[in-house]
Amino acid sequence: MAQKSWMYSVLEAVQYEMEQDPNMIWIFELTPPVASNPGQPVINLETAFGRKRVCNTGIDENWMASCCLGASLAGSKAATYIPYQGALMPFQVIQNVAGKLRHMTGGRASMPVVWIIEMTGQTPGFAGQHSCYEEDSYYAHIPGVRTIIPSTPYDAKGMMHAALRSPDPVVYLYPAGLRTLTEDVPDEPYEVPLDKAAVRQEGSDLTIVSSGGGMPGVLEAAATLTAEGASVEVIDLRVLKEMDTETLVNSVAKTKRLLTVDQSYYTLGPGAEVVARVAENVEGARYKRVAFPDAPPPASPEMFTWMRPDAEKIAGAARALL
Amino acid sequence: MEYETKARAAAPDEFDVPVSESRRTFLKMAAVTGAVAVSARKALADGDIGFYAKDLSDEKLVDMYRTILKIRWHERTQADQMLTNPGYRGYNHFYAGQEAVATGVCAALRNTGPFEQIDLAYSSHRPSGHAIAKGVDIPKMVAENDFRATGLNGGYAAEMHLSDPSVGFIGADGMIGPSMPIASGSAFAFRARGSDQVAVVFGGDGTYATPHFHSTLNNAKLLDLPLIYVLENNLYHQYAHYSYSCPHTNIADAAAAYGIPSRVVDGQDVVQVFNAAKEAVDRARAGGGPSFIEAKTYRYYNHWGAPGATAGELGAFGYDPLAITSFRPEREVRAWMQRDPVDIARNILVNWQVLDETAAQDMETEIKAEIEQAFVWASDQPLCNPEDGLKNVFADGAVPARQFG
Repeated sequence: MAQKSWMYSVLEAVQYEMEQDPNMIWIFELTPPVASNPGQPVINLETAFGRKRVCNTGIDENWMASCCLGASLAGSKAATYIPYQGALMPFQVIQNVAGKLRHMTGGRASMPVVWIIEMTGQTPGFAGQHSCYEEDSYYAHIPGVRTIIPSTPYDAKGMMHAALRSPDPVVYLYPAGLRTLTEDVPDEPYEVPLDKAAVRQEGSDLTIVSSGGGMPGVLEAAATLTAEGASVEVIDLRVLKEMDTETLVNSVAKTKRLLTVDQSYYTLGPGAEVVARVAENVEGARYKRVAFPDAPPPASPEMFTWMRPDAEKIAGAARALL
Repeated sequence: MEYETKARAAAPDEFDVPVSESRRTFLKMAAVTGAVAVSARKALADGDIGFYAKDLSDEKLVDMYRTILKIRWHERTQADQMLTNPGYRGYNHFYAGQEAVATGVCAALRNTGPFEQIDLAYSSHRPSGHAIAKGVDIPKMVAENDFRATGLNGGYAAEMHLSDPSVGFIGADGMIGPSMPIASGSAFAFRARGSDQVAVVFGGDGTYATPHFHSTLNNAKLLDLPLIYVLENNLYHQYAHYSYSCPHTNIADAAAAYGIPSRVVDGQDVVQVFNAAKEAVDRARAGGGPSFIEAKTYRYYNHWGAPGATAGELGAFGYDPLAITSFRPEREVRAWMQRDPVDIARNILVNWQVLDETAAQDMETEIKAEIEQAFVWASDQPLCNPEDGLKNVFADGAVPARQFG
């Protein structure tokens, strides 16, 4: 057990799985699978396993995603790291091949493949095409693909182990804004399930549901509201597909107030699905959604920071519900 | 030094210079006569050896040198801002070292006139050189890169999304790949409407690996599109040497395989770049289809921003923390800087007696001051109104705020 960063925790899981399974491959472009952590050995998958298994390729995310799918269909576990620039380039192969293949083949296709897909765009000044927080909605919509979005280093490692051991294709969303988080993460392998939300804080007045890059702002807002005397329950979705309806419904059945927080666009964001599932199952609750407006994130920091949901805006929306 | 690819030996007729008649006139005639044939070519004749810079006026040559200087000092001034001014928020993927490519290509294009007649340029995420060479207003571009409300794109764009259609600069592209097939679409439109305009797309060596590269070249050739693909091979895509993503030494070899006339030129020499671009533009205007130019060049700074650079000095030699496992050897950077596009252009003009050393030096001093003034002007420009982020989603109106619940 040691304090570990998000990416160190992830690569620790990947390295372990690659040691266990000499067939497993890893494809990357531009972002070498290297991580260091104070007091820990440097992880470098490329030097640890050689370039036949760990390959730096050109800027061709369609090939990277397809290569890993093909490797998995051939019986080798495969994973790739798709940086944000190309986050939607592999969409066709994930949506129209991987997502349908098990079903189309009557269950015969097995796809132990993980696409780590970076989400970025929380930094003022870049935005535009270098912002892709909305991709959670796109990938969450696909049947047959497990779309997960860890928000802590502990979950990042445990969900990576579970994803690599799953026979289903997994879109593993990586909110890059969380790369600076650290927490105690065990050295040993462990699994965090691919179908369970996490209750981060228990409360009885209001449920706030968010995921990935939205969580730090939500936790900060929850701390403020708690200090003001409100009893806030905070749920981290962790999994967008299959979404953990039970945890959501049980919480709102208790609090009767639901606030969802998305860093992605308002329309069809994860919060829309959360509200719909709860509304189908809970009588008499009140709802509110905080999300990025349905506009591409602009470069200007003045425009961008005003548009982006943050702790202050989340707390404000919560107070309006309480 | 100019190289030619194997394709020339394989298909010499592909390299014939085009006829001088305008494509538009020819197409009008074709329409009248019902002819369906599109292009006519003739062999190099009358002693024409393709050294088109011989025909350039002194004024045009000086203008090209000024453009190179503008790009160079824009990059240096901005790098110094990033290094020394904590209040400066802009950034760039610096183009310094590659100035002769943008300048030589754009000098062969039609950059002024009605939008329906000027040539269009598609740029990359390293766009400031292309923008300046195409004629974008420098102070407005500087303001845009500093997120100002009165910048070229109102503060929405910043460096990676700069756009000014009024000079045919369709714009920067923050991604690797999409701009090429889109540029070919503009070329398709020119061909369909009988225009003699051409579309140029600038891409780096990293574009070779993308599916867009291959689809663009295939369709451009298949449909005889007036498209010029300028591949600026500066050896690195982001932090990886191009040998990680391309099996060819000359990427132009790949274009030749699509049947496209392809040249490899010294991207540090604006005259060589111009000659290749002029040949390609003439071919495209005459209905001769696409061309591919691989310019061998080098960037003096790292992929992004100014890590490893020192204020007041040209180039970045230090360790780039973003490079992680691979970074450029300092000796490689310094070796390329021996063949500096500014020096090469100046020496040619002095040697051709277009300028003398004193005039060249005065010009550089004048342009340096002009660029500094652009940064001063930009820093006085207003910041954006936050609420304006909800505008420009559609042609009219604004979308609702959703961030407050």
